[in-house]
Amino acid sequence: MYPEGVLPSSFRDPAGHVFRRDGVLYRSIRDSGRPHYDALMTSGLYKELIAANLLVRHEEVSLSDNAPEDSGTVIRPEEIPFISYPYEWSFSQLQDAAIATLEIEKRAILSGMTLVDASAYNIQFLRGRPVLIDTLSLRRAVEGEPWMAYRQYCQHFLAPLALMCLRDIRLGQLLRAHLDGIPLDLAAALLPLRSRRRLSLLLHIHLHARSQKRYEGSGAPVARRTISRQARLGLIDSLESGTKKLLWRALGTEWADYYDDTNYSPAGMAEKRKAVEQFVAAARPRTVWDMGGNIGTFSRIAAKAGAMTVSFDIDPACVERNYLTARAGREVDLLPLLMDLTNPSPAAGWENRERMSLLDRGPADAVLALALIHHLAIGNNVPLEMAAQFFARAGRSLLIEFIPKSDSQVKRLLVTREDIFEGYTQEGFERAFAKHFEIGRRIPIADSERTIYIMEKK
Amino acid sequence: MNRRKETMSRPTLLRFLLMGLLLGGGLLTGKAAGYIDPGTGSYVLQIAIAFLVGLAFSVKVFWKKISLFLKKTFSPKDKNGPHVP
Repeated sequence: MYPEGVLPSSFRDPAGHVFRRDGVLYRSIRDSGRPHYDALMTSGLYKELIAANLLVRHEEVSLSDNAPEDSGTVIRPEEIPFISYPYEWSFSQLQDAAIATLEIEKRAILSGMTLVDASAYNIQFLRGRPVLIDTLSLRRAVEGEPWMAYRQYCQHFLAPLALMCLRDIRLGQLLRAHLDGIPLDLAAALLPLRSRRRLSLLLHIHLHARSQKRYEGSGAPVARRTISRQARLGLIDSLESGTKKLLWRALGTEWADYYDDTNYSPAGMAEKRKAVEQFVAAARPRTVWDMGGNIGTFSRIAAKAGAMTVSFDIDPACVERNYLTARAGREVDLLPLLMDLTNPSPAAGWENRERMSLLDRGPADAVLALALIHHLAIGNNVPLEMAAQFFARAGRSLLIEFIPKSDSQVKRLLVTREDIFEGYTQEGFERAFAKHFEIGRRIPIADSERTIYIMEKK
Repeated sequence: MNRRKETMSRPTLLRFLLMGLLLGGGLLTGKAAGYIDPGTGSYVLQIAIAFLVGLAFSVKVFWKKISLFLKKTFSPKDKNGPHVP
């Protein structure tokens, strides 16, 4: 969580800032932003977007003696329980965020307003659905003015979705390097030739990139032109149909069918479920991070108990399947996210403070680490003590499964490599984790040599 | 000979026309010039395609209205059949 004061993610907006006082999140609105805010509230657009679950709800508050200088009005928005970033979203999460952005602009046009930013970072997942969190990015429209966020929409949404869908799902990770979205010339170069056969991609990516190239650095001012409201709606409609036509099916990756290919007996699986249920009931966490959550089987136990649960996995197909299940079931407390735990999201952007690292967003009240430790310790050479240190930074209570070398899944990891992991034993595991945690219950899993440990951070 | 190979499909024709309009017709190569900023090219492109996307949208809305009208006109009003007193 960000500390007290102005949040380093909101410094670019001249109309206001987001800040924290006494643990509560506020948004200040400067005088320059006030007419736009008033228009949002009086036009009926605010109520409409709230009713459609497209905008974060807020209330006006009085903080006269405690607000930052020059803030005329202060609002208190509903806080997002876990801030996530587009490079952590699955394909459908990014697509849903894109469609939400276009829907907001469409409704804004009809209310005489416009969305001046189409940044993917302005969308967050709240109760399972994408919502706009930047209330001040809705401004009064200037008659005839083109959509100022057109380029940003194409870079933040259309280009990554097209690359993920038509080239390789892993290209979504380009967003981690390009925080203002994927440059369109890069997207155009990486997309396959067949992408030009889609009218929306031909227009909004290929010709768009060409137009940018044509006009970059030419120096002279551009003649101002106006476009009609119908053309603005037409542009949004064209972007929307192009975005919706991009489809990706989560099949054929290493982990997506994991639970069909494990060595748990039905009794062992039931025991694991029961252990998680008892752990969550005893710890009563408000926030849970399920590390290596796969398709969310165990994350759901925590979410159903009312904990805001983030289910991290390295596999885009697993995260996609998890999200689609959560979306179909209207699960409000589960957020699946893409995360490589051996290289988790770093702090990024201006002064390395604009976007938080994974650990900046913690610690969680409880962490689940089921069938994970062997991948860290053997698959990625992470010493057990360093793994213990990581989990101690990530959360307060820990449920972790130890999988010995005699287990078939570990044997599989060691098939093609030399066993240099002498310290990888149950005793070594307990010794390493005891440095950071008080080890509580040990629960052997039926029909296997695996053991679940419940621990509390020292 | 396969007739489909000889003729150009409608979407392909539309794409060629569009390319011709935008690139050959000079909409992207007019007098206007930009700053060192990709935003200028985006602005110019949006202006260039505004008429086309606006027209396509109008046709789509019009077609939706027509099909809705036809559905309403020709669909049976009472699925349970005529009311018999």
